[in-house]
Amino acid sequence: MADQNMRILVVDDFSTMRRIVRNLLKELGFSNVDEAEDGQIALHKLKNGHFDFIVSDWNMPNMTGIELLKAVRADPQLKHIPLMMVTAEAKKENIIEAATAGASGYIVKPFTAATLDEKLKKVFANMGK
Amino acid sequence: MSDFSGMDDLLQDFLTEASELLSDVDNKLVELEKRPNDKALLNTIFRGFHTIKGGAGFLNVDPMVGLCHRTENLFDKLRNGELSMTPELMDVILNATGVVRDMFGALAQTRMPSAADPAILTALDNVLHGKTAAPVSEVAPVSVNLPPNVTTNTTLKENTSPAGEPDWQVLYDVLLGKPTEVAPREPIAMPKLEMANPKVETVSATESKSIVVDPMQVLRPAPAATSSKAQASTGQPLATQETTIRIDTVRLDQVLNLSGEIGLTKNRLTTLRTDIMAGKMDAPTIKALDEAIGQLDLLVSDLQNAVMKTRMQPIGRLFQKYPRLARDLARQLGKDVELVLIGEETELDKTMLEDLNDPLVHLVRNAVDHGVETIEERIAAGKPPKAVVELSATQVGDHILIEITDDGKGMRPDVIRRKAVEKGLIDAETANSLDDKQSLQLVFMAGFSTKDQVSNISGRGVGMDVVRTNIQRLNGRVDIQSVAGEGSRFTIQLPLTLAILPVLVVKVLDQPFAVPLAMVREIIPIRQEQIQEVSGRATIVVRDEILSVRSLATLIGWEEDHIPNFGVLMQSAEHSFILAVDSFIGRDDVVIKPLQNIRPKGIAGATLSGDGSIVLVLDMEDLLESTAAEGSAIKASRFITAKAI
Repeated sequence: MADQNMRILVVDDFSTMRRIVRNLLKELGFSNVDEAEDGQIALHKLKNGHFDFIVSDWNMPNMTGIELLKAVRADPQLKHIPLMMVTAEAKKENIIEAATAGASGYIVKPFTAATLDEKLKKVFANMGK
Repeated sequence: MSDFSGMDDLLQDFLTEASELLSDVDNKLVELEKRPNDKALLNTIFRGFHTIKGGAGFLNVDPMVGLCHRTENLFDKLRNGELSMTPELMDVILNATGVVRDMFGALAQTRMPSAADPAILTALDNVLHGKTAAPVSEVAPVSVNLPPNVTTNTTLKENTSPAGEPDWQVLYDVLLGKPTEVAPREPIAMPKLEMANPKVETVSATESKSIVVDPMQVLRPAPAATSSKAQASTGQPLATQETTIRIDTVRLDQVLNLSGEIGLTKNRLTTLRTDIMAGKMDAPTIKALDEAIGQLDLLVSDLQNAVMKTRMQPIGRLFQKYPRLARDLARQLGKDVELVLIGEETELDKTMLEDLNDPLVHLVRNAVDHGVETIEERIAAGKPPKAVVELSATQVGDHILIEITDDGKGMRPDVIRRKAVEKGLIDAETANSLDDKQSLQLVFMAGFSTKDQVSNISGRGVGMDVVRTNIQRLNGRVDIQSVAGEGSRFTIQLPLTLAILPVLVVKVLDQPFAVPLAMVREIIPIRQEQIQEVSGRATIVVRDEILSVRSLATLIGWEEDHIPNFGVLMQSAEHSFILAVDSFIGRDDVVIKPLQNIRPKGIAGATLSGDGSIVLVLDMEDLLESTAAEGSAIKASRFITAKAI
């Protein structure tokens, strides 16, 4: 299982949603969490601090989740950080787009702590491979 | 009890944030009518619905999820050019936002909103399937076609094991391994990608659906419990006003800093007290005491200011609801009106903001309904067909100025005078004595409406008199300026906050009373020879203005046995008069404490004076009203009798 002290960045433009994700992560024992309001702020935080995991919303102003994902994967310093996309849609095209861009996982809103746990485990299991 | 026990905080957060978002969506929709192809607007609106849906999903508000899901899809198609905006479509969407707002209302009472009107859902589905609005291209029925019961009722499909989840690593490898062969638009290339195909065993449609509808099952109360709770909550009406507030942490830190410094000053004073009690009364000690108290004085007023600031909210929160309101009304009346907002960042006390809503709604409606002309009338008058109503807010000194200006037909004082006489509000003689400015004020009288037929829009039984009463309740005043043919302007002047009231402390006999300083124009000495009797009332002429003299002692029902020495020239929106008192203590900023269980007429509350005695704070409007019924002539004669003693 992943290190509970790992630093997680939650990216969402809706503060209620950030709080929800944060609470769910806390439920799973992850409390080292920072937040960003959109892709741009997230990228700035990522470049100026150490993060081990990113949970990002898809639809955001300024810089969307997918743009953030692409920017992270294109940055040699950041490209190793796993990024999980959070979205309300289970649309095929979206999932493919996320996968193509290098998403480490995909979780559909609304989700429970159990679902999140499952997804996280999968991501880290795959990383260990 | 609520349908959301355990999630109250989250619900509050969601409501605050989502309501702002929805107001923004409403405004963007009004803009979209002007620029139907604006990509950025379409994107913002799409995102708004999407975000509301996401939040509602976590709170299990299925009716809202279902509705927002549809509107979101609609905007997805609009921004992709699959659909194009039509006036009919706009109506459907605006209807939908109205329903979402109603749902917020239910949530604010911690009630699960009932399902949206099927007619609206059907209308949206029809548009989505290209039945009414003409689709530009074929509609792809991917997740759009979810029948209503999938998103709303399928709660029992609980958490089917996520074993059917695609293997991300494999997917990733495959995709990156053959990036050229696997074009994202060709899902046939890989069975694993067939999310929506139920025949593929790794990823089944049930799986993908169960994620969509998988609400926080753990947090959801059993259906039976939900309904009983709903019943319980209906029996106990909850306040619809928001009880939480979002505060900038910088402001909160300031409060913390100041209270810290006050603590330090208190320590200093405690030390000084010990010294003084021990008999140390030398000059340096007294000087230190003086300094410490001076500092405390400064800090406390800073703290009061800082605390007040935490209650301040931008007026834009209120303003942003009105463009939609103006637009709907104008459309209904066949007018073309643009509502321009200015100074949305101006801040006002939160409670005042809420109480200001009704008067502003009324004034905006009034401007659109009565103020501006129809398109034809405007063209005939040589004006541009589109009318402009401007709603602005500015801070002027320690007051907030809100103005509603229209470029409509204006008000004609002679028409207003005639109407007032016809309606029996004033007699012809009074009407003739009024100048134009005073005539305009007549619209604030109860029972006044210049339209012969009360329209169902502005004339809902709520008149301008209610607007004025509401503004006065906020210690504010409202004025009108109008030029026939050019337009009207309503000006509302409000104090920044109600928490601290500047007062003038006056004395009758030995009893101090506080009157709101906002009403005080000037203070004059009363000399017996100045008092004249005009139709049975005691009056004094101040700079050509005849003002009636009301003795505070008689107003509060005391026996008048001497002539008061001073007159306070008071001005309220309705009338000016001289309040006769014995003496003054001075001005003060007070915090009004309501009186427990009793509410004597004319008393707003009580406060403590510097020496620790209780000072009653007078509510002048209430006081005048309560005594007006008894007939002011009696008061005057009593006053004149007193004069004779």
